[in-house]
Amino acid sequence: MVLRDGADWVLRQIEGAQSEVSELLFEPVTRLGVTGLSRAGKTVFITSLVANLMDRGRMNQMRAVAEGRISAAYLEPQPDDDVPRFQFETHRGALYADPPHWPASTRAISQLRLSLRTHGGGLLSGFTGARASHLDIVDYPGEWLLDLSLIDKGYADWSREVLALAEHPARAGLGAEWRALMAETAPGDALDETRAQALATAFAAYLQESREAGFSNITPGRFLLPGDLEGSPALTFAPLPPGAPGGAKSLFRAFERRYDAYRRLLVKPFFRDHFARIDRQVVLVDLLAALDAGPAALEDLRASMAAVLSAFRPGRNTWLSGLLGKRVDRILFAATKADHIHHSQHARLAGLMQALVREAADRAQYRGAAVEAMAIAALRATVEQEVTRGGREIGVVRGRQGQGAEAVVHPGGLPDDPTRLLAAARSGAETWPEGLAYSATRFLPPILSAAPGEGPPHLRLDRAAEFLLGDRL
Amino acid sequence: MTDPNAPFTLDPADLPPPAETPQTAAQPDAPPPAMVRAAGLGRRRGGWLGKVFWGALGALVLVLATNALTVTINDLISRNAVFGQIALVLLGLLLFTVLIALIRELAALSRLASVETARAASVAARSGTMAEARAAAETVVKLYRNRADVRWGKAELAGRMAELVDPDALLDVTERELLAPLDRAAEQEVVSAARQVATVTAVVPMAAADVVVALVTSTRMIRRIAEIYGGRAGTLGAWRLFRAVMAHLVATGAVAVGDDLISSVLGGGVLSKVSRRFGEGVVNGALTARVGLAAMEVCRPMPFVATKRASVTSVVQRALTGLFNGRG
Repeated sequence: MVLRDGADWVLRQIEGAQSEVSELLFEPVTRLGVTGLSRAGKTVFITSLVANLMDRGRMNQMRAVAEGRISAAYLEPQPDDDVPRFQFETHRGALYADPPHWPASTRAISQLRLSLRTHGGGLLSGFTGARASHLDIVDYPGEWLLDLSLIDKGYADWSREVLALAEHPARAGLGAEWRALMAETAPGDALDETRAQALATAFAAYLQESREAGFSNITPGRFLLPGDLEGSPALTFAPLPPGAPGGAKSLFRAFERRYDAYRRLLVKPFFRDHFARIDRQVVLVDLLAALDAGPAALEDLRASMAAVLSAFRPGRNTWLSGLLGKRVDRILFAATKADHIHHSQHARLAGLMQALVREAADRAQYRGAAVEAMAIAALRATVEQEVTRGGREIGVVRGRQGQGAEAVVHPGGLPDDPTRLLAAARSGAETWPEGLAYSATRFLPPILSAAPGEGPPHLRLDRAAEFLLGDRL
Repeated sequence: MTDPNAPFTLDPADLPPPAETPQTAAQPDAPPPAMVRAAGLGRRRGGWLGKVFWGALGALVLVLATNALTVTINDLISRNAVFGQIALVLLGLLLFTVLIALIRELAALSRLASVETARAASVAARSGTMAEARAAAETVVKLYRNRADVRWGKAELAGRMAELVDPDALLDVTERELLAPLDRAAEQEVVSAARQVATVTAVVPMAAADVVVALVTSTRMIRRIAEIYGGRAGTLGAWRLFRAVMAHLVATGAVAVGDDLISSVLGGGVLSKVSRRFGEGVVNGALTARVGLAAMEVCRPMPFVATKRASVTSVVQRALTGLFNGRG
């Protein structure tokens, strides 16, 4: 009797170990990083992606869906205990509410696990049968990604760059209080905590103003979304004008220490715990808003894209590449809100996106990562129409605006050649030259009717998903 | 005498407008790849001499036949009015049926041509604008206007049409929704034809029987496939189809390559050790399957892009399952 019980126990242990090992070996996990500067549409993207993967009626461009190889998809409890869960149900509820509204925006990192059961399409499909694979979607603010460029930048260098950026005529009107404070500060002054606080607060206000004016090259990102570290020394520093650094108790030395603490306490842990584990990355960019804000905003966006991509470039210094066990092998740059323009202009939008990240993308491609630029809309908020105006047929979009009233909009034509826009941006012009004007509109989410088996409507979300995940299914 | 190398400027207004710059000028067409040329060879008509010869011969036969007919009927009328009239009525009936048949042949040919047009349009639209892609999809839908078996796909496509904004996406969906069920039906035809040919070769002990059966079965299979894809072929059409399929086979080299492969891959090698006839059956079945798959490619109103074409091996396996050893 005892012998039989013991044998049973051993068998159960072996079975348990077997299932664990098979989950480790045969249930691949793909970590998909979703990022973008705030208001780029991260939350809507994830909500729509997950909803569309659960109800796959509109995901025809995914090969696995078209071939009917995905048999089930469901949300599992996510495996990392220390990361908040992405509030999928709440956000989807917002889109399907009456009247629908946009979900609340990302304030910090969050994560969601979607498990898919697929049938293989390969040579061995007959042997393997259905298999499970997990998709971990990691959502984090794009500002944190910009912070990664601080990892190998000293305080003095960073300070100089921020000040140079602030001198740009388009930013000259921003942060008057901070500028006034800085004018009466020298790096060699003795550290006075009240003054330091005032400087940091004014600097944070300047960053906030810059972002509201449409600029995206903003560091340090946690000044905008401080979270529970607000007021701590690691978040109480600011760039200082050039001058003699002074002794150990000077303002410069204190800020330098705090800057290092910021990198050590916030940037590196994020890099190590989250960023370095990502397999696939989507960077969402609200290109249309930057076009609306003017040439300076577009140039700023280009610079911040270059900074973002330098984060995907390990090997520049050794400890970084040592940490980076895995590397991102597919990066998608998605120009979001493509539903705000007529589809005849989508190719130009994608072309502009491509031109914007061209240099950095070439580098990533050289290293063996696939990089693609697309124009997508995670949630299609408009319908299209053609109107005749001045003897020309013009494509317009039509959607809900404030108070739910309908608006018909032609936001302006994008040029065939994206270099015209980029050249204008680089030249530092105040406004767009003749014929390049573009004005963005804010649309409300559409009133969704949930047909059985269909997720929310979208533009090319299936294509984006195919690029990011197609080979893993 | 001024220096010919001295710098100078001209007013552009004095000059005629420049011809197209090299960037925008049309590139000279590169020679088509060898395969395309081979396909062209396969379906090339004879030279002008051949045309004149066949034309003259046909005209001569026609003149002689008309003459003989006229003489005979005149002769009949002059001998017996009743017989003559009966002959006249019969002749009229004959001409009438020939006319009807001719019209039907023409209609069949035009249907075949419209399938070809649809294919060309969908190939072109893949890299074109959305409007072109919509037009190409509409053409394919129109081919199956009255068909019940793709009704579901048509409804699905109509629902998706407004959602899609990429030409290739639209064409992919059209192909999957409309043509996938037809592909399955056509494959079934190929499977049963291959099975028939293989059985007859293996079982019927007459020497020439397999050749006759292969020819008859292939011709019927091609016709059925064309019907499934909406290009119902008449007699002339069937002949044209047959030529097109054969040209396609020659062009893709499918007849010559892999006869020896088939035998070893499908166990034909072992089978032919056991029985020479069974081995021949497998090879003949495989050839029929090749002809059938080529026919599918020729008759399909869109090329295979979004869906995979069936492989010869899989079709032969399905055809021979249960025929020889219960497992194929």
